[in-house]
Amino acid sequence: MMELQLGLALCGNSAKGYNLDDFKIGSFEILDVQDENNVQVLQTLPLLVWDKDDADGHNESQRKDGDENGMVGWPPVNALRKKLCHQSRHRPYGGVMNYVTVKNGGVGGGGRGSNCYKYVKVKMEGIGIARKIDLSSFQSYGTLTDTLISMFGKSRENGDVYKLTYQDKEGDWLLAGDVPWRTFVGSVQRLKLIRDEDY
Amino acid sequence: MAYSFPEEVLEHVFSFLSYDKDRNAVSLVCKSWYEIERWCRRKIFIGNCYAVNPRIMIRRFPEVRSIELKGKPHFADFNLVPEGWGAYVYPWILAMSKSYPLLEEIKLKRMVITDESLELIAKSFKNFKVLVLSSCDGFTTDGLAAIAANCRNLRELDLGESEVEDLSGHWLSHFPDSCTSLVSLNIACLVSEVSFLALERLVARSPNLRTLRINRAVPLEKLPYLLRRTSQLVEFGTGAYSADVRSDYFSNLTEAFSGCKQLKCLSGFWDVVPAYLPAIYPVCSRLTSLNLSYATCQNPELGKLISQCHNLQRLWVLDYIEDFGLEELAANCKDLQELRVFPSDPFAAEPNVTLTEQGLVAVSDGCPKLQSVLYFCRQMTNAALFTIARNRPNMIRFRLCIIELRTPDYLTLGPLDAGFGAIVENCKELRRLSLSGLLTDRVFEYIGTHAKKLEMLSIAFAGDSDLGLHHVLSGCESLRKLEIRDCPFGDKALLSNAAKLETMRSLWMSSCSISFEACKMLAQKMPRLNVEVIDERGPPDTRPESCPVEKLYIYRSVAGRRFDTPGYVWTMGEEAAVRLS
Repeated sequence: MMELQLGLALCGNSAKGYNLDDFKIGSFEILDVQDENNVQVLQTLPLLVWDKDDADGHNESQRKDGDENGMVGWPPVNALRKKLCHQSRHRPYGGVMNYVTVKNGGVGGGGRGSNCYKYVKVKMEGIGIARKIDLSSFQSYGTLTDTLISMFGKSRENGDVYKLTYQDKEGDWLLAGDVPWRTFVGSVQRLKLIRDEDY
Repeated sequence: MAYSFPEEVLEHVFSFLSYDKDRNAVSLVCKSWYEIERWCRRKIFIGNCYAVNPRIMIRRFPEVRSIELKGKPHFADFNLVPEGWGAYVYPWILAMSKSYPLLEEIKLKRMVITDESLELIAKSFKNFKVLVLSSCDGFTTDGLAAIAANCRNLRELDLGESEVEDLSGHWLSHFPDSCTSLVSLNIACLVSEVSFLALERLVARSPNLRTLRINRAVPLEKLPYLLRRTSQLVEFGTGAYSADVRSDYFSNLTEAFSGCKQLKCLSGFWDVVPAYLPAIYPVCSRLTSLNLSYATCQNPELGKLISQCHNLQRLWVLDYIEDFGLEELAANCKDLQELRVFPSDPFAAEPNVTLTEQGLVAVSDGCPKLQSVLYFCRQMTNAALFTIARNRPNMIRFRLCIIELRTPDYLTLGPLDAGFGAIVENCKELRRLSLSGLLTDRVFEYIGTHAKKLEMLSIAFAGDSDLGLHHVLSGCESLRKLEIRDCPFGDKALLSNAAKLETMRSLWMSSCSISFEACKMLAQKMPRLNVEVIDERGPPDTRPESCPVEKLYIYRSVAGRRFDTPGYVWTMGEEAAVRLS
C-alpha cells in the first residue's frame, strides 16, 4: 500500500518498519528504498535520513536524544538539561508539586499554568507520518480524539473507527479514557490511534 | 654548548613555567633543552586523546604527575555521536599504572571510564590526589567505592556532569575514617541518596574542604548540618532546594549560610521553593559565581536575589529571568564577566517567557567586563548584534542560540549575516563563536576576514555553498576546532583547504555534503590526518562514491589510525581501502 504525502513516495505499511518519524532531517541525498515487494521506491524528499535503529518506534523512549521536534541534538542542550525540562513540564506549576509556597501568591517554581505546553507525538495506525499536538489545549478525551482523527484526514462517516491508546510514564501502553483527564495528561508520553477491530 | 647553564639550573627555571605553550616553546630551543624539559614536565594536557597514544607520551615524558585528556567531539553532548564511538581511557590508565607510579591527578572530559579503570587507579597510584570526570560515562558507583576506599590522600573527587550508573549511595561510606584530606567533592550528578550520616562525618573530618556540591537527593532541611561543620567553604552546591515551608527550617538555613564567611560560589537549586531563597541573602554580597541554571523560579524572587549580588562575576540562569531581570542584572552587577541563559522549555513551539534580544543588549550595555556569553532566545536582530558588538569589543566567547532554525532578523526579515559580522569585526579578541539564525555565505566571509583570533567555531543550519566553508578555513588563522552540522558545504572547500586541517585539532561535519570519495581522497592526500566516516547506514562503499557521508570527524594525529572503532566508523586511508574492497 502506497501513500502519497507532501509529494513523497513512501513505502507504506508502518508495520514493516518504515515510519517517517524515524527519519531525521539530515544531509542532501536520495535514498533508494525497497519495500518488502522489492519495488524500488525513490525517496524524493531531499532532507531525510533513515534511522534503522528506530524501526518500530519502540526504541524511541530509550533513545537519548529526546528531541521532540524530530531534530537530533537541536536545540543544543545537553541530556541533563533536557531531563530537567521534561520534569518541569510534567509539573504544571513548574516547581515542586508537594510543597506549599508561602506569600504573595508566588507560584512555586517556574512555568506559568496557562503557558504550560505538553507536546506529545501522535501516530495513527497505517499512516507513516506522525504528528505532534499540544495536549494542554484540550479539555477532554472527546475533543482530543475528534481532533486527532480529523488531523489524520479520517472521518467517522467513512466507517473508520479508531481507539486512542497512550504510553504512560512506565512505558506501558494503555487504552485512553479510564483515568481522569488531568491524570491522563500528567502521565501520557505519546499517543497512538489504532483501528477498532470490533466495528 | 660550552656556555650553557648546568642542568639543575635550567630545570629550576623551567619549573616556573606552567603553561604548556611555554614548555613546548622551551623544548624547541635546542636538543639539550628538549631533554631537560621532558624530564621535568609534570603536567600533560591532551586535547584529543587520539592525537597521541600512551606509549608516545610515556616515552617522551617519563615523570608526569598530572594528566588531562579529552575524548569525544563536543557535539557528543547533543547526541550527535552514537554510542560506542570510543574515547576509552582504560589503555591510558593501564600504561600509566606501569610507568607513572607517582601519578597524582587524572582529569577527563567526554571519555568512557569503566569501574575496572577506577579500580586500577585506586590500586596503582599510591599518591593519587585528584580525579575530575567531566561529562564522562561508563562507570558505576562501585568504581567510586574503590576510589573512596583506597586513595588515602584523595583531595579532589569531581564527577562533573557525568553519567554514572547509580547502584547505590553506599559508596560514600567507603571513605575510611582516616581520610581527612578532601578539599573538593562534587557529586551533584548522582541520583541515589548517599548516607547523610556518612556525608556529614566525612565533611566534619575534612578541615581543608573548600568545595562541596551535593546531589539532589539531599533535602534542604539537612543543609544546615553540613554548612555548620564546614563553614570555611568557598563553593557550595545545594541539593533539592525545597521543603515544606517552616520557620525553623528557614531560620536554621539562614543562620547556617550566614556562618559561611568564605562562600563565593553557589549552585544546585533544583526544585526551588522561592520562600527559601532569602536564606541566601546574607551571602549574596560576597558571591562571585551563581549557578541558577536548574532553578525553576521566576521574577520577582529571581531578580530580587540576583540584584543583591553586587560582586557577581559569573551568572548561569534559566530564561525565567526574562528581559526585565536582565535589565536589573545590568544595573546591579557591574563586575559581571560571564552570562549563560539557558532555555527553560527548548522544545516549546511558542515562547514561554519574555526573553528577547533586549535582555542581552541591556547586559552588554550595563556590564563593562562582560566577555563570555551563552544565550538561548527566540528572536534577534542585526541591530541588536551591532549594539552588542559596539558595547563589548572585549568579548571573548559569544555563543548565541536562536532556538528556531534559520530565524531571520525579525525586523528586516533578512539574514543575520551583518550582525554576526559586526561581532567578529569589533570583538578582535574573540576566541569562541557559535552561530544561529538565518545565515548566508556572507557571514562566513566576514568571519574569515575578521576573526583572526577565533579558535573554536560552531555552525548549524547555515550557509549556501562551499564558499562559506572555504572562507572559514582559509581566513581563520587561529582556528583549532570547527564543528558543523546541517550545512550545504561540500568536497571542493574541504579538499582545497586540506592543509589547513593539519593546523587544527579537529573538524566535525555532520549532515553536510561531503562525499565518500572526497573523504578517501583527503585521507590519501593527508597521511597525518585521521579521516573517520561515521555512517549508521552501513559500509560507505555500498553506496555510490558521490553519496554524502552522514558524519565526518577529522583530526590530526601522530599516533596513526585508531583500532577501537565501532562498526559504524570507517577510517579512510590505504589500509581502509583494502579492508573495504
